[in-house]
Amino acid sequence: MSVLSKLREIAVCLRAGMVTLPYPFEPRPAPERFRGRPIFDGAKCIGCAGCANNCPAREILVADPSQEVRIIKYLGLRCTYCGRCADLCPEQAITMSRDYETATDNVRDLQQHLEIFMGTCTRCGRCFKEPSPLEQMKLKGYRHDDLEHDRWVYASRPFLNGDSVVRDIDIEVEW
Amino acid sequence: MTATEILGRLKVRFGDAIERADVPQDDRLFVYVLPAALRDVCRFIFRDLDARYVTSVGVDDRAGSERYLVAHDFAFDRDRILACVLTYAPEAEPSVPSIADIVPGANWAEREFKDLVGIDPVGHRAPKRLVLPDGWPDGAHPLRRDVPWNHVPPGYDDTREFAFDDPPDGCVVVPFGPFHPTLDEPAHFRLYVDGETVKGCEYRGFMVHRGIEKLADSVLSYSEIPILAERICGICGSVHNVTYAQAVEQAVALRPTPRAEFIRTIMLEMERLHSHLLWVGLASHILGFDTLFMQSFRIREPIMWMTEKISGNRTTYALCVIGGVRWEITPALRTELRDMLDVLEREWRAIAAAVQGDRNLQRRTRGVGVADATLVKEMGLLGPIARAVGVAVDVRRDHPYAAYDRVDFDVVTQEGGDVWARLLVRVFEVFESIRIIRQCLERMPDGPIQQPIDAELPAGRIGISSVEAPRGEAHHFVITGDGNRPQRWRVRAPTYQNLQGIPAMIRDQQLADMTIALGSIDPCFSCTDRLEVIDVRTKRVRVYTQDGLLALARRTAR
Amino acid sequence: MIGAVAAAMMNILLALLVAPLLEGIIRRITARIQSRKGPPLTQPYLDLLKLLGKEDLETGVSPGMQRFAALLALGAVLAVATMIPMGLRPPMDGAGDVVLLIYLLALCGISTLLAGLAAGTTYSLLGMSREMMAMIALEPLLAVALVLGAVQTGSLRLEAVLAGSVYAGTGPPVAGLVMLGVMVLAFQAFVGRVPYDMAEAETEIMEGALVEYSGPKLALFKYARMVKLFVYSALFCALFAPWGSAWMFPVGVLALLAKTLLLVLFVTVVAATHARYRIDQAIRYYAALLAVAVAALIVAVVTV
Repeated sequence: MSVLSKLREIAVCLRAGMVTLPYPFEPRPAPERFRGRPIFDGAKCIGCAGCANNCPAREILVADPSQEVRIIKYLGLRCTYCGRCADLCPEQAITMSRDYETATDNVRDLQQHLEIFMGTCTRCGRCFKEPSPLEQMKLKGYRHDDLEHDRWVYASRPFLNGDSVVRDIDIEVEW
Repeated sequence: MTATEILGRLKVRFGDAIERADVPQDDRLFVYVLPAALRDVCRFIFRDLDARYVTSVGVDDRAGSERYLVAHDFAFDRDRILACVLTYAPEAEPSVPSIADIVPGANWAEREFKDLVGIDPVGHRAPKRLVLPDGWPDGAHPLRRDVPWNHVPPGYDDTREFAFDDPPDGCVVVPFGPFHPTLDEPAHFRLYVDGETVKGCEYRGFMVHRGIEKLADSVLSYSEIPILAERICGICGSVHNVTYAQAVEQAVALRPTPRAEFIRTIMLEMERLHSHLLWVGLASHILGFDTLFMQSFRIREPIMWMTEKISGNRTTYALCVIGGVRWEITPALRTELRDMLDVLEREWRAIAAAVQGDRNLQRRTRGVGVADATLVKEMGLLGPIARAVGVAVDVRRDHPYAAYDRVDFDVVTQEGGDVWARLLVRVFEVFESIRIIRQCLERMPDGPIQQPIDAELPAGRIGISSVEAPRGEAHHFVITGDGNRPQRWRVRAPTYQNLQGIPAMIRDQQLADMTIALGSIDPCFSCTDRLEVIDVRTKRVRVYTQDGLLALARRTAR
Repeated sequence: MIGAVAAAMMNILLALLVAPLLEGIIRRITARIQSRKGPPLTQPYLDLLKLLGKEDLETGVSPGMQRFAALLALGAVLAVATMIPMGLRPPMDGAGDVVLLIYLLALCGISTLLAGLAAGTTYSLLGMSREMMAMIALEPLLAVALVLGAVQTGSLRLEAVLAGSVYAGTGPPVAGLVMLGVMVLAFQAFVGRVPYDMAEAETEIMEGALVEYSGPKLALFKYARMVKLFVYSALFCALFAPWGSAWMFPVGVLALLAKTLLLVLFVTVVAATHARYRIDQAIRYYAALLAVAVAALIVAVVTV
């Protein structure tokens, strides 16, 4: 019976009451596991670059200006907040925050820049081993991403062999 | 029949035409046949053995076998076997005999590998462009291995237009899309309309190309691809993610931990819940029934909150890694999930009871967009579309994966094959999904959620995997490769097959019913269109000035 | 003469002021049925202001006719408003009769046809053809109701017909009550709301005839649609429930507003709980209603 089902539908509606939430007038905290903007902790970072090797969006650049210094730069452009970097960080230096209100008119607000002093690191920044072979990029040695233009240059010079260059991808970031 | 028995029958019948065969596990069969026998083998499998056509894949295998490879995937639903018929095409001017006249559902897939890999399906009735844009230069095939992922071929021709078929006599052309309020994504249907009656239609889609498959086989690594795979579709976040992981796992004979299998099952069913509720909402909206739309979404919202609590996000769950999952279901989450399901079940029962007797809804949905069993077989229609015809296709039961062999559920079917039957199938499947999740929570074993992997994955293995997405079977084909990434990854989303059935479903229907008929397959164009390289110049061409738009509008109106 | 013009102006003013408020009430009630909070009651006024302030884009095939159609839409419905009692001073006495009213009501529909024709795109032409089909079935229904009143009172004069005339005549008002039922069932269609909004049907033909309109022209069409609801409510009240309208100022107006609110509530609940019908289904429904209405008219003619 159609009228009956219409009445039933209205009953469903009325029983529910009003469910509109007053966001953004009242804050709406995210759940515990929420994957918001990743936050890099420079004090904990050992400069292993495991996060950069396993970022599906190629959002983390690494540059080694000298033997002692490694720069890690998070671009915050097309990060999908997948949380793989936080998973793989051996020192828990990356945490996925609950920060989701990240709209900004200046993309540099979201960038993070870490300068890691490698020389005196007792734990040796380059001895980190990723959990399984699937996480290991087949590239060893120094990284030379173009920090000035935020370009990920995957041309990495193997440590001992000065001639061969592995050129894998070359991603240019524009905005 | 077991896979070995099927292989035996093929060998008896075709003898030497079967080059070699591989049965890596009980439910997989790989048969390499000579090109000359390809059509007969496919006919035998599709017609005589009554297998369901799944998809076709073209592979550039020049690095390995120095040839091209074409795979036609079939599913033996009763026997729980996924089979793959492979044949090699020569390196110079690669071609294979077309099977689209034997298996009509192969129409698109063959056009796709012609476009992307450059393997010519000889004898295809209408080998028009499917995926590549109209102005793309001939002879540039993005998925060949020697084409870099960001290659822009020279010679893009702005002026080239797609050659549509001539409209039938006495019909006006009504353009439906690329943009239309009921299409969430661009797709173009050229409708041939007589008065208010649709006499036919032609589809030109594939406008949302993101080059996902190319990125996967040239840039990303095995464990990064799931993050990309889940972005194939905004709704099916775990479907493509799980299907990809399973395909790789099958290829390298790796089994995820039992607990991970249960968590995958739970997330897949959560996804079906929110997808079906979303569909009921959208279908009501298409019919102008916005109250049911709002109520469906209200009831759906707690599911989204729950998935957010489990995975940290509402739809893109980043669930799988090869060999396991990333998110543990803690006892606290388990309790919360149970409570949510109780509320959901109570509220959805009220909706289901009200909607079932709604004659107003029935008048708009009964007898609309009808598919029949023949169409289901010929076009390989899937999921709720097939089940609404009474064809009980359900990969969860037919080709159990994850933990589906350890839970009880019914495959919901209806008769009639119209939109109303599809609505009922989806409404009742919600209860089955709730049942499955409850059983999973009860039977979930303790243990780790990731399988440790201590060796690199071997190259050159083929894996195929199917998952019952809310819209039907999602199917992935993977060939493992060097450099910690697959050599080829092919995604076949359910809409790929279901869309091909649309022209038959809307023929002789009212124009007003077009939107709901199309909506009833829950079309997901982003899933279907997932590949192809972004072309900067196409974008530029698409930016019309106001005058240009006006001229275009007038031209199409005439 | 001046009095009549003033009365007409007051009716127009009332219609223009109240109509967006009714739309706001519809939105609020709909929102509550859909478990939402809904926009503030003043939103429709703001929407109209916003649209009026936008750039006037000429996107159809004949812009002049499009502008004319937009003006005609609001003009026609306001002209109707001048002839219907709204509890203020009596409407323009002797300025016209029931036949004129029927023509003016038809003009409201014709403005939509014109709008679709002038825009000239596939979807606007589809919307136009649907509107035309609906008009052909619906307009006679309204005419039958008015003629019934005229038959019962034996006069074509507005003030005679628009005063509950359907129940006049001798004996029990069978024909009038049947007609009341028919008009209640058809009211949704007259004001073009779900489930009978197939001429606009956003999810099928993208607002149909209005697909090419934006800015001020769209504002005029939207305003006309809002006023139409109020005017048809007033017409309905005048024909079938005139009680209280003749009382002195504020009571008459307030009585009308109260009755209008009831009608709006009815329209909203029906619209919120139904799916849109297809044009062929709707025409069949209108035809059935028309048959009943004509039967009622015959009964009235025989019994007078």
